[in-house]
Amino acid sequence: MAFRDVNARRHIGLQQLSSLALAGRTLLGPVKSCKFIVDESTNQSTLICSAVRLIESLDLTSAAGQLLNETIQAQNKEFKTGMSTLLFLVGAWSNAIMECLQQNVPVSAIVSVMSEGLNSCCERVQCLQISIHDVNKELCSSSVRPNTFKSKTCQIGCDSLPNPQLFLYFQKDISVPEVIPINSCSHQDDDCNFKKHLVSPLAGFGSVASLVKPVGDKSTSVISRSGVTTSSCNKQKLTHSRYFSTLGKSYFSSQQGNFQGYLLGTSADSCECCGLGHLAMALSHGNETSMKLLQSIVTYQQERAEHSGSSQFNVAEIVTCCLLGLPESYSCASPGFVTLVSPEQVTVVEYFEDKLLRILLIDGDLTERYRHLGFNRSCNVRTIVEHPRLQEEDLWLSRMLDNLINFEVNLVLVKGNVCENLMERCIANSILLISSVTWNVLCSFGEVTGAQPVTYLTQLNASFVGSGAQVELWKACDGRAMDLGELVPVRVKARGIPLLTAVLTTTIASKMQLIEDQFWTLVYRLHHALNDKKVFLGGGAVELLCLSHIQMLAEQPLQPANQNAVKEFHNPWLAASATEYKSVVLQALASGWKQYLLVVMCNTTAASELEACTSVDHHLRKAADCGSPSAYILKEFRRGDLLRDGAGPFAGHREGLKVYDNVTAKTEAWRRALDLVLLVLQTDAEIITGPRKNQLLNSHASSEYMFL
Amino acid sequence: MSRLEAKKPPLFITEPLTKDGVSQSLSLLSGILKSCYGPAGRLKQLHNGVGGYVCTTSQSSAILSRLPVSHPVLGVLMASVQNHVSRFSDCGLFTAILCCSLIENFKSLNIASCTVIKISKHLLSFCMDYLKSEACGCRVAVDFSSVETLLCLVRSILRSKPACMLNKTEVDHLTTLIVKAFLFTVPCHAESNAVLGKCVIVPMKGRRVVDSTVLPGLLIETPEIQLANPLTIKRTSSNTIKIALFCVSMSGDSFNPEEGTITVHHGISLEMSELNQLLDVGKQLVNDEVGLVVCQKVIHPSLKQYLKENSVMAVDRAGLSLMEPLSRMTGSKPIASIHLLSPSCYGSLKDVDIESFASKNFVHLIPNDTLVCSLILCNRNETAWDELKRACETAEHVLQLTLKEPLALLGGGCTETHLASYIRHKSCSLSTSSFEDTDCSQAEYQLVAEGFCRSLESVARSLNHDDGEILTDMVYGHCWFVPPGFPPVSNWSDLVSKCGCGINGNSENLKWRLLQGQFGSPVIHDCPKEPLVKIADFLTLDCYAAKCSGLQVALETAHLILDLLYVIKDQN
Repeated sequence: MAFRDVNARRHIGLQQLSSLALAGRTLLGPVKSCKFIVDESTNQSTLICSAVRLIESLDLTSAAGQLLNETIQAQNKEFKTGMSTLLFLVGAWSNAIMECLQQNVPVSAIVSVMSEGLNSCCERVQCLQISIHDVNKELCSSSVRPNTFKSKTCQIGCDSLPNPQLFLYFQKDISVPEVIPINSCSHQDDDCNFKKHLVSPLAGFGSVASLVKPVGDKSTSVISRSGVTTSSCNKQKLTHSRYFSTLGKSYFSSQQGNFQGYLLGTSADSCECCGLGHLAMALSHGNETSMKLLQSIVTYQQERAEHSGSSQFNVAEIVTCCLLGLPESYSCASPGFVTLVSPEQVTVVEYFEDKLLRILLIDGDLTERYRHLGFNRSCNVRTIVEHPRLQEEDLWLSRMLDNLINFEVNLVLVKGNVCENLMERCIANSILLISSVTWNVLCSFGEVTGAQPVTYLTQLNASFVGSGAQVELWKACDGRAMDLGELVPVRVKARGIPLLTAVLTTTIASKMQLIEDQFWTLVYRLHHALNDKKVFLGGGAVELLCLSHIQMLAEQPLQPANQNAVKEFHNPWLAASATEYKSVVLQALASGWKQYLLVVMCNTTAASELEACTSVDHHLRKAADCGSPSAYILKEFRRGDLLRDGAGPFAGHREGLKVYDNVTAKTEAWRRALDLVLLVLQTDAEIITGPRKNQLLNSHASSEYMFL
Repeated sequence: MSRLEAKKPPLFITEPLTKDGVSQSLSLLSGILKSCYGPAGRLKQLHNGVGGYVCTTSQSSAILSRLPVSHPVLGVLMASVQNHVSRFSDCGLFTAILCCSLIENFKSLNIASCTVIKISKHLLSFCMDYLKSEACGCRVAVDFSSVETLLCLVRSILRSKPACMLNKTEVDHLTTLIVKAFLFTVPCHAESNAVLGKCVIVPMKGRRVVDSTVLPGLLIETPEIQLANPLTIKRTSSNTIKIALFCVSMSGDSFNPEEGTITVHHGISLEMSELNQLLDVGKQLVNDEVGLVVCQKVIHPSLKQYLKENSVMAVDRAGLSLMEPLSRMTGSKPIASIHLLSPSCYGSLKDVDIESFASKNFVHLIPNDTLVCSLILCNRNETAWDELKRACETAEHVLQLTLKEPLALLGGGCTETHLASYIRHKSCSLSTSSFEDTDCSQAEYQLVAEGFCRSLESVARSLNHDDGEILTDMVYGHCWFVPPGFPPVSNWSDLVSKCGCGINGNSENLKWRLLQGQFGSPVIHDCPKEPLVKIADFLTLDCYAAKCSGLQVALETAHLILDLLYVIKDQN
């Protein structure tokens, strides 16, 4: 066993965390820069654009690295969002704590003040939570508004507003474009919101300016991809595919086809039922491709929910299908299950077109050797074969095929693999076998066709076979059937099936994973928002309030309330020493969020760190002067002005969307980040177990270790 | 051809304790353990150095079980501490630190080890008598008519494990849950031979701690269950559910012999005949009106299907650890063979339900009485969850020990300093006959007693991990902590607010003095007093049984190690 002291003044573990987190800096905020990770030994590279994939691709042999990986994976498993925030804050807080250590702040003081501080901030920012109900109302009414103002009946829009404060605000907006000369930029988020809805189902962006008449010039710059009036390079990055912006045009024109072909797009007049679509947009943080997909999924599910009374949005009823080789503009959502089959099966699919099929669900592999999990195959049973001609497998094949034919099964969805010979025989008999189907897809088909999953075909009886499934070749939005060379996409559906497939397309193989990740992130953001039943104001509002709250905490002298806390905590030495170092440690906590804001601003607006810093300080000062920081921040958020200094070089560029964030995912990311940093901070030694003593003794670092 | 090699002679090491290497290793070990002690203790990362799972912990049970040591002296020490931990769960670090300090202190005395041992045995008996007496000033009686003391005990345990990463609300939440779970396991109608039930911890990693909860009965995870279908379970005439519990695999592979070969003719399928036997079992279960079949291992899908068709619920892969509580809760006997099915094996349940937590689905077996319960334990990441699980198990065990012996000791270092001042006082006022009993001079006795007291105090000192001072008062003999960064001034009352256990405030002048290190001058003590008010909220309390045992184990192990004369090593 070896023992290594890590708690020198410069804490090794914290240094490791800080340097690992540094790599994730550019992944923060709505505008991310992708990274190529190159494996030096194989020269293979991966394109990554999220903290999870980054951490997965890094070599993490150190203990701190392992813990970081574990933390990020846990956040990913639970929320699928907030990992970049987590990674960034781990780095920022590690740095800040190392500075505290330099100033001889005791570890116990850092631990207690920081965790109390975070708790206090999490409570404070609750006032920036908005219930989903209110958000929907607000988003919907803001998108209805242009209609109402056209007909000069702004009261309709106003009546449905959630609270008087908003009412005033919207009233002002509504009257802005025509009645009163433009006096502020506050109307633009709503304007823009509207136009997006209007535009996306109707036309490509090229013709926007002529289509949508009453636009202020600032707004034009938002939607005009060609940058008609103002230079809009940053805006491009924000609203559209952030990686290959030349694809943007064709994307939108074809997206229109998608929506008309399969689903309704979100449109301004159907706003009551597509409130979730607006919410999806507000949560998309600039990820437009995924947002469009999600909006059409939401529309479909909500329509279904109205008929069946099921939940409005169900993650379990969404699957993805990745098609490589089609331009990204072909991405769309299709009801039913889209998957890839071999070209040989295409004839069967074509034969089945327009027919109602009998469907069977297999919860396992469809091979002769397959046995259910937990069955241990005996290796010492020998069979005496009297008729050598008859092969065991042939026998099995014909038995299985007979079974399928007897029960008139046309379509089999198999959870695992399918024996190739059986596949061939089935094609010859016009039975379609589809392998590698996930459990929730099986369940969905079971629900609507009446089929029940079985493990073995021998179990089969008539009650397990469902009916009413349909198969067709999947056609892209322009009506073209796909031939992607080796595999062909087909769509399996059934009447009333709740399942939806998001078909994700790209021509660039290395982007496939990335696109799929981004889609799921957005899906889960909406899912968590609905679960939480509330969202945070986004766009830095929450972090800004944390900063201003900490400023206040740091200036506060030890209050009687705190002394009560001491009594409860009966931890006198901790609490007493904590007050001594309170302001230093709180500053360290604040620096995490400040860095976060600066980096997000730098990433999105290409502002320099100094400009960003000035802007944040400006807001903090104004918030403090205003007396009620939360009211100030709420007001600025409503105006869409937050962290966009009016005098700065990018004034007027980021108006548009209201941005919202998940509540639990965000606060949990903070908490997990801080927990990890404090866990590593409190660690003073690594104990290396196992029989590596000699190896360590001979290594160049042997002087670092002590042996028992 | 075999080769013969001459055997090497065994290696003799005389007086191992005087060797440099041993005392270095001993002080390194003691340093590691001291640094872990208490709520502000530093954590250790245990890992294999090549990536993979990292265990972050400050608990003796986790550290000692993974620390392979080369020297037999350390081996003896660790083995006896581990043995203590396996019996009491708590106070492992206390035992180990005290033992190391005793060895260090006694070794530096230059008194024959047999004399030291005799005297310290005498001192130990003083301690034990005092701890057992009604007059003991550092123990409180646990009143089971209110949960407050129980909450204090559990809270103290959770708070002393910083690697659990709990904040105050989370500590309170879990404390309540643990006490609630413990109360579930106490039988409602006490008989002469009442047996406590069991609390099963259900892991739920990645969730927030406050999502943890306690449910009566047991939970079995079922990954792929169709929640949409309402449960249709056959009930008996008395509206209970008859349950059959199998500990044998029902996957249909039990024809598998250990060795040898079976030869069968083509066309005969062992699998089919095995399945037919299973289906016969199924038929009998249906005839016997069984409503729920639980199997430790896997159930064949065909049998599952058959049972389902007959509205019998089948749950498989329950796992070995659930078998004992399952059989206890339902009163069923685990069935070990599918050939012998006796109706006397069946048990009964009040109800069955489906529970979902996060993404996991569970079958919830609800018993008629609640002696068995499930604690669904959540924590954000794996390393913190593992630490929390150990802490919860310790807390559960401590509550059980406390039920047997309804006493608790003051924590936060106060018991140690109080005992030390009691021993100092006692050893000054001894009659000469006592010295004759132990065959030693008064001076020797005083020296050993001082070493003993310093060892106790050094345990209290290890609670402090920053540079602040530690005080003790001359009235109650409790332990007080001064935050770092203050010069050692005389007016301590400005700097301290409460003693370590939280029972005394700084309202009266308690005549504080510095708790000296190794080389301070001995102080004459009055007998320490008992605090005026003994029951207060939010006290830090330690388990009485565990600490008493720890004290004895530490002393006896120290005696054994001090008494070592030879180490004989087989070099072959």
